[in-house]
Amino acid sequence: MKLKKILSIATMVILLASCGQHPTVPSNVTIESRLPKIYPDYTEVTIPVNICPLNFAVQEGETDAIARFTFPGGEFIYGEGQKVLIDEEQWKEMLESAKGKEIKVEVFAKVNGAWKGYQPFNIYVAEDSIDEYISYRAIQPSYVAYERLSINQRNITNFDEREIYNNMSVSSEKVGQCINCHSYQNYRTNNMLFHMRQGYGGTMLVSNGELKKIDLKTDETLSAGVYPSWHPTHNLIAFSTNKTGQSFHTKDLNKIEVQDTESDLILYDVDKNEVSIISELDDELEVFPTWTPDGKKLYFCSAHFEYYNDSIEKSAEMIQRFKEVKYSLYSADFNPDTKEFSNVEMVYNAADSLNQSVTLPRVSPDGKYLLFSQAEYGCFHVWHADADIYMMDLKTRDVQKLDAVNSDRSESYPTWSSNGRWIMVDSRRDDGNYTRPYFAYFDRKGKAHKAFMLPQKDPNFYTFYLRSFNRPEFMVEPVKITPQEFAAKAKEDAIPAKYADK
Amino acid sequence: MKQYLKYIYLLAFITVAYILLPVMNADYLYTIQDNNVFISGHTFMMDTVMGEGGWQAWVARYLTQFFYYPWLGSSILILFWVVIYWMTIWMFGIKDKWSFLALIIPAVLLYHLLDYGYWIYYAKIPGLPFQPTIMVFFCLLYTWGTLYLIRKLKISWQMKGLICVALLGAIIYVSNLLWPSSTWHYNYNFRHSIKTTLIDKNFKHELRMYRALDEFRFEDVLKEMPTNNEQAPTNLMVLYKNIALMHTGQMDRMFETGNCGVKPDIGDSLKIRTSLLGAPIIYYMFGQMNYSYRWAMENAVQYGLSFRNLKMMIRTAIFNKEFEVAAKYIAMLKTSTFHRKWALEHEAWMTNSTNFIQSQDYQTLSPLLNEETNVLDGDDGLCEQYLLEYFSDLNHANTPLLEDVTMCMSLWAKDYYAYCIHFYDYVNSHPNRPIPALYQEGAILFGNAEESPITLDQFRFDDIIANKYNGFVQDYQQLQQQGVDEKEIGNRLKMLYGNTYWWYYYFYNDFNIY
Repeated sequence: MKLKKILSIATMVILLASCGQHPTVPSNVTIESRLPKIYPDYTEVTIPVNICPLNFAVQEGETDAIARFTFPGGEFIYGEGQKVLIDEEQWKEMLESAKGKEIKVEVFAKVNGAWKGYQPFNIYVAEDSIDEYISYRAIQPSYVAYERLSINQRNITNFDEREIYNNMSVSSEKVGQCINCHSYQNYRTNNMLFHMRQGYGGTMLVSNGELKKIDLKTDETLSAGVYPSWHPTHNLIAFSTNKTGQSFHTKDLNKIEVQDTESDLILYDVDKNEVSIISELDDELEVFPTWTPDGKKLYFCSAHFEYYNDSIEKSAEMIQRFKEVKYSLYSADFNPDTKEFSNVEMVYNAADSLNQSVTLPRVSPDGKYLLFSQAEYGCFHVWHADADIYMMDLKTRDVQKLDAVNSDRSESYPTWSSNGRWIMVDSRRDDGNYTRPYFAYFDRKGKAHKAFMLPQKDPNFYTFYLRSFNRPEFMVEPVKITPQEFAAKAKEDAIPAKYADK
Repeated sequence: MKQYLKYIYLLAFITVAYILLPVMNADYLYTIQDNNVFISGHTFMMDTVMGEGGWQAWVARYLTQFFYYPWLGSSILILFWVVIYWMTIWMFGIKDKWSFLALIIPAVLLYHLLDYGYWIYYAKIPGLPFQPTIMVFFCLLYTWGTLYLIRKLKISWQMKGLICVALLGAIIYVSNLLWPSSTWHYNYNFRHSIKTTLIDKNFKHELRMYRALDEFRFEDVLKEMPTNNEQAPTNLMVLYKNIALMHTGQMDRMFETGNCGVKPDIGDSLKIRTSLLGAPIIYYMFGQMNYSYRWAMENAVQYGLSFRNLKMMIRTAIFNKEFEVAAKYIAMLKTSTFHRKWALEHEAWMTNSTNFIQSQDYQTLSPLLNEETNVLDGDDGLCEQYLLEYFSDLNHANTPLLEDVTMCMSLWAKDYYAYCIHFYDYVNSHPNRPIPALYQEGAILFGNAEESPITLDQFRFDDIIANKYNGFVQDYQQLQQQGVDEKEIGNRLKMLYGNTYWWYYYFYNDFNIY
């Protein structure tokens, strides 16, 4: 009986504690005529109707802060110390109610013992949803060394994050393993891949849900497959093959150059396990293939680079002339039935006309636009502070810089959501060293809106997190193969791909 | 008397442990602490507990911080060992006269801690002084709990079994033994490095020199350099010593203070690399901020984040005006128990530029930062060789310190062509200034060489140096004519000429960069 009593009291205490209490807005407030400093910056952003709560920290005062969210259906008030942590259920209610409208946010902070209010800001709720999942490689921004790497998937409608694969499951003290270039066909995970290098090297390929490990290096090709792009309608993958080197700046804050001394394009036929050459022109460094949504055209980047100093190695010459390596944008028509490429065309002459370099092209799902990263030179724009995201209208071939998406730090790796309404880019705007995913709404008039950082449960998460979010990709469903299944397959020998002459 | 034996044994062990830990190896323990990291907060905690070792690693990291004061850290660790001792006696019912047997586990743990030597830089065991102890402690706790259940609790055998399994599950959980696919990566093997820890003087010198450099106590760095010929210094000691000479305006004394470094002879499979042991601070002291940051980051990634790396990344980020990333690292460091003060001091560098300009770091390093030309290349992990080549090839030294560095580095690298260029620049820039003895020695040596780019007639050398050089040449030729081999000639000439550049040039050929 006594035990019962104790248990009921304990349950009541727990229930009361879990209910939580909304703080109240202070009555005596001095109003500041400026926006509050909040982190991440969610002021005046447009968000998807299904995104997780935009928790933030108020960087005003030292102790307490409160935020009042007013939406068509009412208002909610939050504040825990300097953090604004939004209840997930209430957030969903807010988004549903404000769909196509906005949520007004008023922030109050205690500064030197007195409450201050700041200019309210809006969060615009688009009617368009965003793909439920993204995946990225969690990697510390080192240069040559690596240790613990994982490819993670995050449900961005909540805060659930899981590992797709963790390299430590097969790494040993003596042999490490690098993993990279995860890629999906049409945002689905039944056809996907990622590469493993060094220990247990090979390409982990999921084809129609079946997991295989393939060795894409053949005697006739430069390297195994590197940057991939799945064909949207056929079981084909375009890859670049690259001979890559790294060198380091003594003063330049870009710190590192990652350069391809040679690179070509190959096509991999998944069903036949065959590799064939797409392009291997002398003096051309072809890279970053990407298909159009109908699969009838392949875009790629290529830099014209002639080595003329026979007395030194190619890599040494490329280091000496690193600023001369500039990529332009090309396209080639493709017949999926015959697997033949034709009509190679320069689409955007960034190198010669603009003295710029274009990388990482991505065509929108409606086939109307193409996003890419542009900087002064080179192919590894994640380390180039001047790299920005540009967009080409594929009908008119007009190119515009997406100011709403860019910052004065590196922006690279642009990608589209499956409905074409959201752009995701990898940005170093936060601190110049760690890349974070940013999302921007892309409206029906072709206008990009202010980008916002991937929300986290704890708004201070990024301050204490020491990994970059590398190569973020949208997915409409989670990867179903478990990390243990990938690890078990990793330990098997890779099936060598065959080379098919044209 | 018999009943006191267990106390006497314990007291003896505690005494030995204190002597071997904070008394004899305070620098070793401090360095272990410096190579550890603990950041308060959910993100770091989850990152640690999701990795190998789990909660146990997190606790070990927390406790390792206390070696910031080696006496304090040692006391906590010894306290664990005392508990382990008593638990062992209780569990096994060991009689008083045999109670020394209960010291076997603590003694092995003590030995294990001292057995790292240079492995303290390489071992990927978070909180390495405490991890094995905590693991043993949990295992004993489990055994103790099980025995207690069997002996004392009057519950059914089924219930006892269930509780034992639950306890075992808890042990597996806190140690994250199932992460991520039952692979345990840590290597707890004995490394046979206890000799290095206890006896190797150079190892101890290196530890002390690093700390003195880190705190800009250059005179203390120089004091660590042995003046006798008992044991040749390591390359790293030579580097640290020359850095101290550089920043005390005595770089031209580098050859008279011992410049013939050797690779540490540690007698096991470990490949010692300067890039891990000291590259971040070495590059920092030479004003190479990008390379310092790079190696702090590379080492943090490969061997685990540490207070040491975090501090180097903060310093270099501030010098590079990368304030946001510096603020990120400072926010992390501020949560630590003992490095908070350091973090606050360096935060003040960013909030007020006067603090930065007046800082010892800026005052010391700014003369090396005037060189603005960016070079794209790489060091292949050999920081010493890279610095020698970089400064030898630097053609526009624009501060007196940089002039000295370019001259001395080209002599050190035996790059006579580069030296001659720097020598001409130096003499032309300072026509009325006396030429330091070392620079004269270099010029005389290279000026007398065949196809020399120096014409000696242009310069006036001190008679003492010129005569000494002539004596060196005569003695050398005489010994050669007598058929004495080169190595022996070197030994015989060392007494008279060992502190000259000529001796270094001709007889130090064991330039084993690592």
